[in-house]
Amino acid sequence: MTLDSKGRAMAIWLVGPVFLGVAAWLATSSTSAPIPLRPASDVPRESIRPGAWRTPLKHANEAKVNGAVRPCSECHRLFGTPPEENRTLIQHKDIVLAHGINKRCLNCHYGADRDKLVLHDGTLIDFNETPRLCSNCHGTVYRDWQMGVHGKTMGSWDASSGTQQRLACNECHDPHAPRYKPLEPLPGPETLRMGDQRREEEPSKQHAPLRRWSMPSHDEPSKEEPKKENPS
Amino acid sequence: MSLRIWEGKSAGGGSDAPEMTRRSFLRTSTAVVGGMTAIAAALSPLKDLNPSEEFSLEQFIQKHYKEMTPRDMEIALDRIRREVELRYRVRPEIRDVRAKAGVEFVYALNLSRCIGCRRCVHACVNENNQSRSPEIQYIRVLEMPRGTMDMEKGDHHYDRPTVPDASHFYMPVQCHQCANPPCVKVCPVEATWQDADGITVIDYDWCIGCRYCEAACPYWARRFNFTKPEVPADRVNPDMSYLSNRPRPKGVVEKCHFCLHRTREGRLPACLEACPTGARKFGNVLDPESEVSQILKHKRVFVLKEEVGTLPRFFYYFDERYPNSIDPEAKQIALSLGYEGGADGMFGASRGGGVA
Amino acid sequence: MIAIARGYITFLIRCFRLSFVGPAPYYLWMLGLSIVALLGLNAYCKQFVQGMGVTGMTDQVSWGLYIANFAFLVGVAAAAATMVIPVYVYRNRELAHLVIFAHLFAVAAIIMALLFVVVDLGRPDRFHHMMLRFNFPISMLTWDVISLNGYLVLNLHICGYLIYCAYNRREPSKLFYIPFVFVAIAWAFGTQLVEAFLYCGLGGRPFWNSAVIAPRLVAAAFAAGPSILIIILQVIAAFTDYRVNEKAYLTLRNTARVAMCASMFLLASEAFTEFYTDSAHVASARYLFFGLDGKNALVPWIWTSITLNVTALVILFTPLTRNTRFLNIACAMIIVGVWIEKGMGLVIPAFVPTPLGEIVEYRPTLNEWLVCAGIGAFGLLIFTILVRVTVPVLSGRLAFDTPYVAPDAATPRVPEASEPTTRTA
Repeated sequence: MTLDSKGRAMAIWLVGPVFLGVAAWLATSSTSAPIPLRPASDVPRESIRPGAWRTPLKHANEAKVNGAVRPCSECHRLFGTPPEENRTLIQHKDIVLAHGINKRCLNCHYGADRDKLVLHDGTLIDFNETPRLCSNCHGTVYRDWQMGVHGKTMGSWDASSGTQQRLACNECHDPHAPRYKPLEPLPGPETLRMGDQRREEEPSKQHAPLRRWSMPSHDEPSKEEPKKENPS
Repeated sequence: MSLRIWEGKSAGGGSDAPEMTRRSFLRTSTAVVGGMTAIAAALSPLKDLNPSEEFSLEQFIQKHYKEMTPRDMEIALDRIRREVELRYRVRPEIRDVRAKAGVEFVYALNLSRCIGCRRCVHACVNENNQSRSPEIQYIRVLEMPRGTMDMEKGDHHYDRPTVPDASHFYMPVQCHQCANPPCVKVCPVEATWQDADGITVIDYDWCIGCRYCEAACPYWARRFNFTKPEVPADRVNPDMSYLSNRPRPKGVVEKCHFCLHRTREGRLPACLEACPTGARKFGNVLDPESEVSQILKHKRVFVLKEEVGTLPRFFYYFDERYPNSIDPEAKQIALSLGYEGGADGMFGASRGGGVA
Repeated sequence: MIAIARGYITFLIRCFRLSFVGPAPYYLWMLGLSIVALLGLNAYCKQFVQGMGVTGMTDQVSWGLYIANFAFLVGVAAAAATMVIPVYVYRNRELAHLVIFAHLFAVAAIIMALLFVVVDLGRPDRFHHMMLRFNFPISMLTWDVISLNGYLVLNLHICGYLIYCAYNRREPSKLFYIPFVFVAIAWAFGTQLVEAFLYCGLGGRPFWNSAVIAPRLVAAAFAAGPSILIIILQVIAAFTDYRVNEKAYLTLRNTARVAMCASMFLLASEAFTEFYTDSAHVASARYLFFGLDGKNALVPWIWTSITLNVTALVILFTPLTRNTRFLNIACAMIIVGVWIEKGMGLVIPAFVPTPLGEIVEYRPTLNEWLVCAGIGAFGLLIFTILVRVTVPVLSGRLAFDTPYVAPDAATPRVPEASEPTTRTA
């Protein structure tokens, strides 16, 4: 084809209108592409507050029972404490005792003066010295707590700064029911274009050493293993 | 050789193109105008660009963090203050917090205590002004079945009514501030580096968003801003620093920085403070009396993916198990090993067994 | 001095003007490419304004179609050396004048690859940061920047010099291009090597952390490159008056044959290492070939790729490929197969599962495809213009002393090896 052919002229005539058509289409179509954003999950500040989980009783005369604030000894001068285990409380029923084998109130409370706690050797301590009492049975935990390995530290990582605060045992644990109650977990991740992340079936047993010979789960009826011969 | 380059005429006197007629001129000009219009229409989305928010000359000529003079930093902080006020109507207290000498931060996490409640995740989001939509979270908590450290078996999206579940343990993962960081190696513009106190930091105003560091990290610790981050104005944390939690622009990478705006001033990271069980431990490993030093000395610590050679500054450890009466699987194991249980289900020292 | 500059500028202007002149199919072709390029530009503008969220990439799969195409294009650009080696190293004089098309193709491919890198950046407005603080030699991306730009400059020089000499009806001086050619051959391998090192130096991605990535990339590139060149040369022979020696196809076919053998061999080697060991590191490979935990978006892709590659390999070894139609089918199969293998088959699986074991699949969005198509169209546009200018120069129809002479449809001019105007070797 030579440069002056008709076909070529037609082609060039086509160029302008086609471009204008494309321009019109681009100008009228949306100037943004869709991004599948999910609405943000709002986590209440209460759930993520820093610090101690409980405010423990620091002094005996701040004890609050049935709305009234009075020292423990005021009532307990009149009413004694039976020494047996597994008692059902008549007053301050909000105290639930679930401390493992520690089922006797007077293991920790001093019978003669309810404003004090009693250590294993009979020493009396105030309510604000509870770690000393816990350490009587939970020595290993207390050792770790002293190192800073167990429990919570607030304020500063630098012990020499003066603002470091080690939380006492009963600022996390309820002394009568120390085991934490299970919590409701906060929402899991919902990242961009995550896809369907539900896990339907059990993870495969391949490459999973323990799962291959897995112990019965807590949902199945438990089977007692046959007891091995006691060498002693 | 002809001097008349404008017409492209050669010494031979002819020209490359045939003579221009009115029709051919019209033809050509329609094509040219059509082309220009089409280009302009193609570029039309650019009208949605907000120059004051997105690009400023100040930010364009801003130097790398390591080359900034104090005056440069003041200018940058002023600009950031203005941008934050404009966007969130919050007056931030933003400063440049530098590393202190004699400090090397290490994090330790007690896997016996973590219950998988995810309070650390959301405390971090709050503290560090992370985008809520699309969602960015620096910390991922994995629910791992017992008996394996293979993270593929872990579930990131567990959604139980309560935690912890007896047959799983929980492992949060965030940036480990590795001592041999692959992310720092691969950054082409040195937008990320490791500061003297061990924290791997990012200069958000220098990052070009190539995401090579995100590909290189063996712990999936880095996040990219795929759009302009969305932070609710009432949740903005005004306590900011240049290298940590100031609102990031779109198109840059971010990650956990051990809350350096808090920790470099002696405070604790937000994740640690929110943890209800005290599973998280943080401190200066150069101080032999610090918590983390004690943990490294006395506890059975390990790191993730040690074989990759990153030397993480994030250690995991287990200590005592839950009492066997609570954990039925543990009870089974104990029985099978010959421990005799008492009527109350406890296996303790009083029975002559030794399960600690 | 000024005369030389003026002469060169004249040449450039004439080339520029010539690129707007051609027969009707030329206009239609350029129109089509321009439209696709404009659509791509529009899509990229949306991405520039809104951020990378308009693509299908996520924190879990943070590199996607852009880097996949980048890997493919760097490979085929490097494979321009496959044409160059027979001519300059083995002194195959019959193909000498075709080498220039290989270099031109390399230029277009590298430009496309660089564009893919730019569109993949979250902050392309901060590109200048790379010149201010350059983490060389530690970061492999910096090596990549140097190698790609250097390769581009080398190729531009080689073909620019040869074309300009042909335009001036002057014999090119060996000193100004032979050393560069040999450097370009080595540099081509270097480019691929650096590209591979981007991936295989990352310990956190076990799928990539394998020594076989670099040889695989080179082998696949050297199979796809000649295939593309075969098709390009046929297009040039069909649409211009330039006659292409049939022997070129067979030479390129031989290179593609050997390279495809190597590529399949390395694939088999990798598959064996992964699946026979059957360790936990195999997860990414398992996801790619068989799917993982019900997620199997890539499985059809990789098996299609393997089928195409193996079939093409078999076809190439039969005498069928002496027939150009079968040769073209084999080439098309190789190009598609290698594109899938390098893109979906190399870049994406490394991100699934994530280092923390999460499985998030990657699906490119329409916007992403448009940007890729736009860059592809732009590259073809550039290549077409380069060829549009080169063919007349090599045929002697565009020279410093004559106005442009249109090709005469009746008697196509065939360049003779003895003609002084077209000697390029």
